[in-house]
Amino acid sequence: MINIETPRIGVYICHCGVNIAATVDVKEVARFASDMPCVVIARDYQYMCSDPGQELIKRDIKEHGLNRVVVASCSPRMHEPTFRNACEDAGVNPYCFEMANLREQCAWVHSDKDKATEKAKDLVASAIGKAALLEPLERKKVGVVPRALVIGGGVAGIYAALEIADKGFETYLVEKEPSIGGHMAQLDKTFPTLDCSACILTPKMVEAERHKNIQLLTYSEVKEVSGYIGNYKVKIRKRPRYVDEQKCTGCGECANACRLRGRIPNEFDAGMAMRSAIYVPFPQAVPLIYTVDAERCLYITKGKCGKYPACKEACPADAIDFELLEEEIEVEVGTIVVATGYELLDLAEKPEYGYKYDEVLTGLEFERLSVASGPTSGKIIINGKEPKEVVFISCIGSRSRKEDECEYCSRVCCMYIAKQAHLVREKIPDAKVKVLYNDVRAYGKGFEEFYNRARKEGVEYIRKELEDPVEVVKRKGEDEKVVIKTIIEGEKIEIEADLVVMANAIVPRKDADELAKILKITKSADGFFLEAHPKLRPLDTFTDGIFIAGCCQSPKDIPDSVAQGVGAAIRASIPLMRGEVEIEPLVASINEDVCVGCGTCEAICPFDALSLEEGVMHVKEVVCKGCGSCGSACPSGAISMKHFKDEQIYAQIEVML
Amino acid sequence: MGTLYEDIVAYGGEVFGEEHMETLRECVQCGKCTGGCPSGRNTALRTRKLFQMALLDLREEIFNAPELWFCSTCFTCYERCPKGVKTTDIIRIIRNLAAKEGHMSVPHRMIGVYVLKTGHAVPIGPDQMKLREAVGLESQPPTTQKYKEQLEQVQKIFRTTNYDAMIDFDWDTMNLRGMEKGGKK
Repeated sequence: MINIETPRIGVYICHCGVNIAATVDVKEVARFASDMPCVVIARDYQYMCSDPGQELIKRDIKEHGLNRVVVASCSPRMHEPTFRNACEDAGVNPYCFEMANLREQCAWVHSDKDKATEKAKDLVASAIGKAALLEPLERKKVGVVPRALVIGGGVAGIYAALEIADKGFETYLVEKEPSIGGHMAQLDKTFPTLDCSACILTPKMVEAERHKNIQLLTYSEVKEVSGYIGNYKVKIRKRPRYVDEQKCTGCGECANACRLRGRIPNEFDAGMAMRSAIYVPFPQAVPLIYTVDAERCLYITKGKCGKYPACKEACPADAIDFELLEEEIEVEVGTIVVATGYELLDLAEKPEYGYKYDEVLTGLEFERLSVASGPTSGKIIINGKEPKEVVFISCIGSRSRKEDECEYCSRVCCMYIAKQAHLVREKIPDAKVKVLYNDVRAYGKGFEEFYNRARKEGVEYIRKELEDPVEVVKRKGEDEKVVIKTIIEGEKIEIEADLVVMANAIVPRKDADELAKILKITKSADGFFLEAHPKLRPLDTFTDGIFIAGCCQSPKDIPDSVAQGVGAAIRASIPLMRGEVEIEPLVASINEDVCVGCGTCEAICPFDALSLEEGVMHVKEVVCKGCGSCGSACPSGAISMKHFKDEQIYAQIEVML
Repeated sequence: MGTLYEDIVAYGGEVFGEEHMETLRECVQCGKCTGGCPSGRNTALRTRKLFQMALLDLREEIFNAPELWFCSTCFTCYERCPKGVKTTDIIRIIRNLAAKEGHMSVPHRMIGVYVLKTGHAVPIGPDQMKLREAVGLESQPPTTQKYKEQLEQVQKIFRTTNYDAMIDFDWDTMNLRGMEKGGKK
């Protein structure tokens, strides 16, 4: 698109109250701009972003026949969309607008008014130079597949799926484990209300299973994602359960018959109870379909299980089928919500915490010990008896300066410790409960009240410094107690305990890296998925059409995870409801006469936006983000970036020299 | 004998009420007490540390800590504590418990000796007597220090309450045991 009209430029210098005007002589800059070639009118104004400011531009466009606009004010990150819209309203192509940053890049960083004014002139001149060469661009529209994918079936994923499905869109809910429910299904009571976690979650799990718009894909993983917002193609690997999902009634006869019954630690019970090689993780599992653990099953690993597999013999529905194969399911979706959750810091790799002793548990293991549906039916029992001295230790691996630990706060531990301490006091009234803590962060609704309640109930809170080392050892001899050794205020302290509960850090899942690569989303330094803006776009990623919710973004509690799940679902529903998305036209373009098809750009593109067709490179404009990597890498100079063409940038430089 | 915390609540509770003593558990170790302590400016008294020791049940350590006795009960920390810990009262109760178990600082015991010998915690010395005479007063006011026969009443109270035994008073030397030559025990 070659622009043949003569540029007629309007230039507007913003005072930004006194932000710019105090350091830059705005009237002088406006006078200077009015002498520049192609400039028809140059003005200064108090607040260009205000309604009257925008009206000023619109009126000038009409009265003076402007076809280019330059505003010299703040960062384009702030108000570029505002002024582009103003231009569009008055009939000027929004990409024939250029912005000079006189605030962050001039007024705020200088104090000498004369010099700052000279620099402001340079910046404005540069913007005018580019504006003269700007070309109108059109935003493209693409259609949207009216379906969504939710990755992760924890509480955030379940709520996200229900929300999208309730809006009437078909939703795939992919879960790696045999059942949805996530970590929340494992918990006992929830803080601060002491609701039974499973009781409030299971109805939602069932609702997700029964919803006509939700297709549950459990025991499945996303392996490949291609495409772009509105048109993602997703390959999902569904592992074989070796049980026919249609036939299985969930009766459990197979598990009773299994020769390995009671010999395999159940992951759902944090390894504290045993299961068979064919199992459901917990009785309320959704879907209630048994799964053969292919890594343990004798028939699969050894090829032989007695004369005939016991489970197969026992199954009244004839559902067990060892011939089942892995499936690859391909789906097309418009948007994706990622809610893959978290892991806990592995204490087995940290011998100082004494995790190998039976008396030392993680917070999650305590949940299984305390929950009524758990291996001890809710009785807190260690080594066959009730612990009388219980110590909770906060910030294990969180808020740490050690390289292999986490600098961030895991956010939920303070409150679950208060809750667990309360549960110990409730179930064992004569138990002494101590909490070794640094700070108590009771930041949420009802949290401080709950924490105060735990203290009033007689839980002893003992403050220590974060840097004070903690070591847990077992005293040898008759007295079988574990001893926590620490140094508080320079004094060596030993605290005896029958049970030690470690609040170990919430960490990103080990497979987060792989998933980030598959989805082309970014991670922050802490390893969690990165949101597009920490405050204003907390649910978006930098990849359009992919949203994040729950603990995969950072540690958070149940209400926050639910809020994010619902929020991300609403964000993901917008393109589905509109049926089309607008694509920014600031993309790479190829001069096909110059391109030799070497493929350098294809290899370097982080978004897979380039592909070779008949010896010439082609840009998938809906995928391209306009980052410019290809343009700078192209050895033949065949690639230019729309809105950032070489000649436009040269013009910017030239006028300043 | 329970934990130190329990003893503090039980013993102090009789004087101040149990709730008053239970505020010890509210301590969050912020250190405002130590930061503003006028005595701590010149001595090893670290109020925050004393409370941490009490909560950690370090009974022997706290009873034998000389700084337990450096608090001048000015109540600055008591006024400033953001969690409403009844600091000064708790320190006084810890001192009482320490004294009951035979730990009491020599200066505090010496105050007992002065009371036994004169009826005054701070007896009137030669300087004060001169000062009184200079302004036209009798050299001694009409107290037990002047009327020795009345002093016996005071000593009787000491014997009856076993306070003499608590401070390890020797009736033969009329001084603390082991302090006959004025040396420090």
